[in-house]
Amino acid sequence: MSPLMMYQLVALGLLAIGLYGIVWRKSLVGMLISVELMLNGAGLSIVSSAQLTAADSATGQIATLFVMGLAAAEATLVLAIIVVVAKRFKTTETDAVSRLKG
Amino acid sequence: MELMAKIAFVVYTLLVLGGGCFAVGAHSLVRAMVGLITSLLGVAGMYMLMAAPFMAFMQILIYVGAVCILIFFAIMLSRADSHGVESGSRRPGKALLSALAFISPVFVIGWVIVNYQPESIRIPLEVPLEVIGKGLLDNYALAFELISVVLLAAMAGAVLLAFEKKGRGAE
Repeated sequence: MSPLMMYQLVALGLLAIGLYGIVWRKSLVGMLISVELMLNGAGLSIVSSAQLTAADSATGQIATLFVMGLAAAEATLVLAIIVVVAKRFKTTETDAVSRLKG
Repeated sequence: MELMAKIAFVVYTLLVLGGGCFAVGAHSLVRAMVGLITSLLGVAGMYMLMAAPFMAFMQILIYVGAVCILIFFAIMLSRADSHGVESGSRRPGKALLSALAFISPVFVIGWVIVNYQPESIRIPLEVPLEVIGKGLLDNYALAFELISVVLLAAMAGAVLLAFEKKGRGAE
């Protein structure tokens, strides 16, 4: 087993855990945590394929920096959405927040 | 040294996957966040093993330092009680659905990873920081500026959403 494959399998494990969690969790915060796990798996996969193959290493690291920046932006927005949902519905359970209003 | 690297890899793998399982399975959201932090630190250790120390520092600074604090604020501001909304009963068959959600993509991607593997370098080389900095300001300057704009827009949008006036569309 090559080192690249081992790192990719760990990244795949993170994706699996995140996918399981985003369906299993009932609250918005739990789903946010699962999304962060999946984004981490993506970062690990990109850095491992940049560092452990003949591809340009700097490009892979820059791409992972962008993934981290996007994760920070996404977490900020989800925090705002959670605050609004908690204010309006008094809960962050996803089953309770099921009504649309035009 | 080879043996040390293997031991470190096994330890980091346990941290990453164990922390991830804890982050998904814990009833209390604060404990789930501790699991997430463990997992993030394990990934940072893997970056160190791959000779990318700058990525490890950024991982700790951005993820553990900023994103986890944001999640902690989300837990506090949503007034989740210590038992959590997670401990209640779920619809029957939800575990099956959750398992289905990850089995098929993982099977496909895992098959590709195992069967189509490019040549791997055994000892990765560290990229000098100047190369990353030059790349950010030279080839990828547009993407760098765009991500700044995205972050600014996200912050402004978050403030706008959270400062919603009372009595306008509130339940």
